[in-house]
Order: sequence, then structure tokens, then C-alpha cells
Amino acid sequence: MANEYRIVIQRRAALPMLYDINLRITYGYEVPVSGGRHLVRVLPASIPGRQRLIAGSVTFQPTPGERSESVDFFANATTSILFRSVHENLVIRMQARVQAEATELTADLSPPLAGLPPQLASCWAIDVESPHHFIGPSPLLPEAAEIAAYAREIAGENMTVRQIGSAICERIHRDFVYDAEATTVTTTPAEAFRLKRGVCQDFTHVMIVALRSLGIPAGYVSGFLRTLPPPGKERLEGADAMHAWVRFWCGTTGGWMELDPTNNIPAGTDHIVVGHGRDYGDVAPVIGVLKSYGSHTTEQAVDVIPVE
Amino acid sequence: MAKKQAAEATSKRRLDGDPAFGYRALPGVADEMLDPQGNVRPVWQRLLAALGRMDETELANRFARADRYLRDAGVFYRAYGKENTERSWPLSHIPVLIDEAEWAVVSEGLIQRAELLEKVVADIYGENRLVREGLLPPALVASNPQFLRPLAGVNPAGGHFLHFCSFEIGRGPDGNWWVLSDRSEAPSGAGFALENRVATTRAFSNLYAETHVHRLASFFGAFRDTLQAQKLHPDDRIAVLSPGIANETYFEHAYIARYLGFMLLEGEDLTVVGGRVMVRTVAGLKPIGVLWRRLDASFADPLELDQSSHIGTPGLVEALRAGSVSIVNAIGSGIIETRAFLAFMPTLCRHLLGEEQKLPSIATWWCGQESERQQVANNIEGMVIGPAYSTRPFFDDNGQSVLGASLRDTARTSVAEWLATDGGKLVGQEVVTLSTTPAWVRGRLTPRPMSLRVFAARTRDGWQIMPGGFARIGSGDDVAAIAMQAGGTAADVWIVSDKPVERTTLLPAEESFTRNLPGSLPSRAADNLFWLGRYIERAEGALRILRAWHARFAEAADPSMPLLKDVSSYLSALDISTRQPVPVSLLANIDSALFSAGNIRDRFSPDGWLALNDLSKTARKFHATVQAGDDATHAMTILLRKLAGFAGLVHENMYRFTGWRFLSIGRYLERGLHMTRLLGHMSGPEAPDGAYDMLLEIGDSVMTHRRRYNVNTAALTVTDLLALDPLNPRSVLFQLNEIKTEVELLPNAFVNGQMSPFYRETMRLHSGLAVMTPEAMNETVYKRLEQDLEKLSDLLAQTYLG
Repeated sequence: MANEYRIVIQRRAALPMLYDINLRITYGYEVPVSGGRHLVRVLPASIPGRQRLIAGSVTFQPTPGERSESVDFFANATTSILFRSVHENLVIRMQARVQAEATELTADLSPPLAGLPPQLASCWAIDVESPHHFIGPSPLLPEAAEIAAYAREIAGENMTVRQIGSAICERIHRDFVYDAEATTVTTTPAEAFRLKRGVCQDFTHVMIVALRSLGIPAGYVSGFLRTLPPPGKERLEGADAMHAWVRFWCGTTGGWMELDPTNNIPAGTDHIVVGHGRDYGDVAPVIGVLKSYGSHTTEQAVDVIPVE
Repeated sequence: MAKKQAAEATSKRRLDGDPAFGYRALPGVADEMLDPQGNVRPVWQRLLAALGRMDETELANRFARADRYLRDAGVFYRAYGKENTERSWPLSHIPVLIDEAEWAVVSEGLIQRAELLEKVVADIYGENRLVREGLLPPALVASNPQFLRPLAGVNPAGGHFLHFCSFEIGRGPDGNWWVLSDRSEAPSGAGFALENRVATTRAFSNLYAETHVHRLASFFGAFRDTLQAQKLHPDDRIAVLSPGIANETYFEHAYIARYLGFMLLEGEDLTVVGGRVMVRTVAGLKPIGVLWRRLDASFADPLELDQSSHIGTPGLVEALRAGSVSIVNAIGSGIIETRAFLAFMPTLCRHLLGEEQKLPSIATWWCGQESERQQVANNIEGMVIGPAYSTRPFFDDNGQSVLGASLRDTARTSVAEWLATDGGKLVGQEVVTLSTTPAWVRGRLTPRPMSLRVFAARTRDGWQIMPGGFARIGSGDDVAAIAMQAGGTAADVWIVSDKPVERTTLLPAEESFTRNLPGSLPSRAADNLFWLGRYIERAEGALRILRAWHARFAEAADPSMPLLKDVSSYLSALDISTRQPVPVSLLANIDSALFSAGNIRDRFSPDGWLALNDLSKTARKFHATVQAGDDATHAMTILLRKLAGFAGLVHENMYRFTGWRFLSIGRYLERGLHMTRLLGHMSGPEAPDGAYDMLLEIGDSVMTHRRRYNVNTAALTVTDLLALDPLNPRSVLFQLNEIKTEVELLPNAFVNGQMSPFYRETMRLHSGLAVMTPEAMNETVYKRLEQDLEKLSDLLAQTYLG
């Protein structure tokens, strides 16, 4: 997840951006493991009008005994791998060149909150873009009364859905402290909310639960964030990180809108999308099942390098 | 005498006059035995007359016969709660009788319904036309926890989503049948229906023979053929996939698998290789073609479904996508069970089949729609309100549903609010009064509410309805008490014809029998058998040492005596404390044996299982009461006898095939280890006084020693007898000899004409020990032998149990 380099280019680039993205995820097993099956979702997506994957590859070390590619329900590229032999480490590498399109923030076409249910009801679809998948509780995001109360307090009566989204995004950014030590990958949104601490995954989960409690369809975006080093310092290799932010539905004409509560900004050309889901579980970079008798360590290194 | 007279008087009274013996239907409620005019329905007359001829004693005997059958067959279900205990099957002995002609109408309605369910599920995971065309609200799919997204767009290998369904139906006051709920996820109860049938016919054997009751076997036979036909390759295996021993209906999974001749597997038994589902067996990976799934879909694959599942098979969904395996019913088809779907059945039936429902669903309104919500709010008095995505009928959902009529005025306002805010998550259902059927309660027939579970199987000729099923019968007047977890009972259902019925059996005709050898043994079963053997033997070893210790303690009453101290320290290294007369670690050991045995219940006689349970219970009781010394010596003797009883049952009754070999190897290996360790500790020259005699006693070889050696016990004679004598069943060499014999007969003992590493190591250990002399045996040799035996166990696990 995102680290201390959270200083983002605030100026919105007027031009499309070209990036080379490198990701390396390393697992070290205390006791060598034999076998194991993993699903990997790390390759940036191609989304018309948003970004284009020019070239990309996902490789593994050791070489898996079996490998297959597929596209999941939410249209995320998924690589499935199976190991048969004993190994002590697993290295997953992803390399991609991506063009991020410059999207202008359009006028707010979203309805006031009370106007959303009829628009939702008029949407007779359950395809991948349907907001209906993002209304109810999802496996990692049960309803949470405290977060619902928080959301109700923020949402003013005359605000549009988009304004509500922005207001919640801003409040979370203000009320929460970024703290990589406070939470883990399994922390529930209710816990993170009580702590008022966490990382991008926690910020994103809390915001999704808040929006859903108001009846606003909201989902999880996993991806990469381009970061800048602190002033006067060199860019460190591998210092960037995988990131997460929120996508929510602003009605039939308003469409989907992406906001990043960790940085309190709309997702722009610095945000490169890997996948969409209802929560982290749908787009976790690596889901693995293996028999192991010891613990394991994980390291992640990301570089998002603008191509001049 | 007085009792008998009273009984005669009762039965006389019953015979005189009233044909229903005082049985009366409840006002405003339909009854199965009596028609609306109060007359006994024709199908019931024979049963009723027969009951009238029996006195209390005869009836009690007959019921006892049925109960004994169930107990002996080991029929149980698991009651959830603090203890998760196994309960004996609660049979209501009076069957429910239904006329064949009426059943034909019910069957026709349910066949139509099964076809409808298939079409709805196929659309949800396929084209999604029902949502697009406005017939099914999108939320019903997208917010439904039973909608499993990874399966969207996956066509089932056999072309159908549903192959086996069940329906809960009930008869309303007007005498018509209603569908109360649909079961498509992993319908349970068909095996229990079979057992109810066998038990009930034990009670009423002559009556059953005279009454033309439709048999159940042909239904199962047809379904077995369906599953056979699903196989894509002739070598594929068919298995019942069970969530395991902790499940409420595990007994049934084991029973059905045995009855139909399929493997009984759990998620852990399976692995997916090259897009194919394989079962791990002691003879290697074998392909699975068809899985009859009794496991909830979301647990089936921790990679793509519920990630917290520990009972699934990673990659199963990928295999489904590859179309290499047929899972019955298809993963995801449970969505149709959710209660809200009942609201849309009439419309969907008209749209998809172009006809009205032949058997109506219980009236249901999904409160996610404005007008339906109003309808529920305005008629709250006659409604039950419950969770829209619940998959259980309202009378069996752990109190999640609320009866509108039970609400006070103030509560009703909050219900209105509840409906307004949470409408999408709620359904209202019309309250129905179910019919009653006679149950035998405190010596008389008493009307009790009932619902029927009916089963439908897809066969070559379309859907077939089981001619029977099982009736769930309430423990009181209240419909809510039908649930078995709430004290309800189950009864057999007899579909009665006025002509003789076809008699089928799943057993092949005698002239054409073949002697089938059991199929490949799943590695997990082999693992459990192996460890059962080890735990049993480990318990025996501990018991023998403890008995010898306490016998000496009783004489000396001084634990600091060198021999007692020495043995205590030996035991404490094995985590066994002599301070507790019956140590906790011994109980844990017996429980481990019980757990291993529980995982392979289908391979055990119920007698063996009962014996093991008895051993565990007795050990627990002793743990709480027994004192050190004589008392403990006596207790150990009793426990040893019970243990021998179990071992004897297994030894006498278990079929000598691969499973038996793993159990035996486990026992021999553990016994060899036990003796090696003990000799290494106690047979040396510095052994305390009395050690050799104690060794002989633990090794049950006192008599033999006296006969074979004309000398007092000495290190060499004891070593000779307990380590190296090939004829002494307690000696180490004897164990290795036996292991060698079993290993030769295991699959893959030879690989390409060469001994497998496991076989080779067994041979090496055996011949190494066979050429030893008593003089050469010392602590170092024993230590190495102990390590070698442990390694042999690991090697076995690597070779066969991985």
C-alpha cells in the first residue's frame, strides 16, 4: 500500500501522461512450500477514455507449473498460477507501459441524494458497469452503524451525490491519520473508523461503507499512484506503491466518479487503474492458497516512471 | 396385571364405535387423515384398523424395533449449539399416507417447478434477459449473497444447472398444496427419507407388505444413472462432496455415497491439475468427472469464492470454467432458494413456460418495490416478515422472521419504518396454517402440524419426483416447532396405490453379480486410518505402562522408589503425568483416535464407532473419579479391555483391503516405536531393580518368558523376547515383519519394477533388526531404530498421504 511518499502532483496535467510501471512482489517462506495456487491481479487495465495499456507482462519466479489468463466478473485481467515443486521464494514481476488520458472534470450532473433511487431503479441491468453490484454490503464490507452516522452527518440535504462524495472524501482525509502501522490487510472498516488511522485500503473501505450507507453505489479501485519525492531529494527506486481509491455512481447521467480519500483529490492522470471490485477482496493483487508450516514475509516495490 | 387390563380396556374402547379412536382435526385446519367431514380418508383406513388391533405393549414393541434399527444403523443428525452433539434420529413412527392420485397432481406441479427453476438459474448465470426485460429486479441478483459472480457466464459441463432439488410443501386450510420453499443449493434429506422408510417398515412390516406403497429405490436408481451419464470419460470417478464430519447431515452424505456406490470426499481430497479435478488417492491422482455437492457453494473454492473457507478446493471454479467436471447442482444455483424469488415465481412461470403455476408458491411480496411494500404494510395482520435473502422457510429460520399478528400497535409503526428503510432486504409472506397429521403422543393419536419435503431428480426421461419424502412434524400445535432443531420429528411418507406397485431394489439381481473391489482409497481416508491405528496403539502403550506403574505404587506407596521414579520420568518425556491417575494427555490421545475415526465414519461399522465412544466416555469418567494405586490399576484394566474390544471389532469386521492395511501399519509402527523406546530406556545394565519384570508385564510377555527361558529375567532374555523374537506379537521385529507384509500389498510398492523408497526402507529396517543378537542391542541402537521408525512414518506419509 502507499507509503510515506504521499506528495502528489496537485496540478492536473492537461496532457495525457505516459508511464513505465514496474512492480515486484516477493514472498519469502520460512519453511519451503510445495505446491500452491495463486490468483494475481496486477496488470493495468485498458479503459476507453481513461487509460490505455500499451504493453504489459506478468512474470513469475520460479516458473509456475501451470499458468492461465482470464478476465473476471469485474473485467479485471487475472493470472492464475499453480506450483507443483518446492520453492522458498516467489517473485511476481509486472512491467507495463500505460498511457493515462487527461480527463477534464465535467460539470456536476449528479442528482440530489433523494433523486438517486429512481435513477437506480430505472437501471435494469446487472452487467459489469451496473451500479447494482455496489449498493449492498460486500464480503469485506458489512454495514457499520458508526460509519453510517458519520456519513449522515456530512451529507447535507441540498447536496448532490457528487458533492456528498467529495465532502466525505475531504472529511476522511481530515479526520484520519495515515499510519501504516495501525492496521493490517484484514482490518475491518469499523475498526479503522474507530482508530481514525490506516492506509489507503482503510480510507477507501471506510468511504465506500459511508457512501453505501446513504444508498450511493460505491466500489474499490486498485491501482498505482505516481508519487514525487520530498523536495530536494532524489527519487528512490521502488519507492512508489500500489494504491487504492473509491469509485462511486453519480446517477444515470453523472456516471462513475473516482475520488482518492488518502490524498483528497479526484483520481487523475497520476492514478493508474489495475482493477475494479466491490472491496479489496475482489481485486487483491495476490490471492494464494498453499500448505505451509511456517510464516512468510512479503515485500513490494513499485516504480511509476513518467516517460518524457 | 392392572396395567395390562387397563391397556386392554383402552384398546377395546378404541375399537368400539369411533373409527378414528377419538382423533379429531383442529378447527379450521386441514388434516391428512380426516377429510373435511371428519371421515377417515380411504388410504388411511387399513393403517388405522391395524393400529386399533394393537395394544399398548405391541405398539411400544413395534416402535422400539424401528428405533433400534436407527440406532444400530448409526443414523444421527447433528444438533448445533454449545456441544454440537450427535442426536439420535427423531422418528415419528406413524407415517403420513397420501393417495397416489393426489400425489400425481403434486408431482406434476413440482416437475413444472423444477423446470422453471432451471430456466431462471440458467438466465441469471447466462443471458440475463429476465433482468433486462424487467421481470426480475436487478437487486435480487446483484445484492443477493447467493449470486456467485465468478460463475457468471460459465456453462455447466452437462448442460444443466439443476439435477437434484427439493421442495418444502404444505397443505393449506382449503386442502390445496403450497410450495413453501425451494432447495437447490445442496438439498438434504433424501437419505434420511430412505432411513425413515426402513425404520417405519420395521415397525409395520406386515402392514407395509399389504399396503401398496410406492418404493423409493427406483428413484435413486434413476438418479444414479443420471450421474453416471454425466461422466465425460469412462475412467472418471463420481463422488459425493461433503463438508465433513462437523456438518448437520454428515451421516446422510456417508449413507448416500455408500448406497449409490460413489466415493465420499471432502474438499481437501481434491486437487485441480491441468484444469481437471483429481482425487488424491494412495495410488496417485485419479480424475473426478462428477461431484454431487453437499457442500455450500461459497465454501467450494477459497481462491475464487469465500476466501475464508478451509474446506474447499482451490481451483475448482477454474475447472468448471474449463468444463472438465460436472458439479451437481451447479455452483451458484443456490440463488433460487432465496425467499424473495418466491414473489416472482408466478410471473416468471408465465413468461418462461407460458403457463400458470400448477402448484402455487406461498404468497410472497418483495418489499423492495413500492406497491408491494404497501401491500405488506396494509395487511400486516396476516403477514410474516422476514429476510429477503434468507434461504430457509419462515418457520425454520432461527427466529429471523416476525409474525405481523404478534406485534403490538407501537411495534407496528416501527415495522412500517423498517419496511420503508430496509424494504429491499425484506419480504412479507402470507401466514399459512399447515395441515395436521396424526402423531403418537402419550398413548394416543394427536394432530400435529406438518410440512413435506419432496425430492426431484433429473433423469434421462426428465424430472422425476420421489414417491415419498419426509414429513417434518411439529412438537406442538405451533407451526414454528416443525424445525428439527426445535424438537420437531420426522415421519415416513407413504404414497399408496390401489394396485400392487413395482418393486425395485438397487441391489443387482443375483445371477449377474460381480465382485467389485473397493476403488482407490483417498489419501485423507488413508491418513485418518493410519493415525487411528497409531493413536489407538499409543493409548494402549500408555495404559499398559500406567497400569504397571500403579500396581507397583499400590504396593510401595512411595513414588520416590527408583523404578517408579524412573518410569515417571520416562512417561513425562511423553507428556504423560503419573500425578494424575488417568492423565489428561491420555484422554486427548483417545479423543484424537475418535476424531480420526469420525472422519472416516463411512468405513466403520456402527459397533466399532460405539465402542470407541464408550472408551472415551469411560476414560473421562475415570479421569474425574479414579485414585492412584489399586483403583487406577483396575481402571486401566477396564480401559484396556474396552480398547481391545474396539480393536477386536475392527479386526473381525473390517474388509481386508487398502484401508485396513493403513490402519494396521499405523498400529504396528506405533507398537514398534513404543517398545523400542521403552527398551532403550529400561533394558540397559543400569536399569533400576524390577525394571525387567516390569518390561515383561508391559509387553504382556510374562508367561511366555517363563516358558521359554529357564532363567530369571535378565537384560538379554528380555531383549531377546521383546526386541528380536519374530513370534512374539509384542516384539519390535514382529512389527517390522507385519509392516513388510502389508507394504508389499500396497499400491505402488514397486515403481517400474523397482521397490519404492518406502518399501526399500521397510526392508532395510526389517533385515537390519533380524540379524541382530541380544548382546548387540544397546541404547544407541534403540535410539537409531526409534529415529528410523519415525522416518519410516514420514516416508509413508510422503508416498501415500500427500
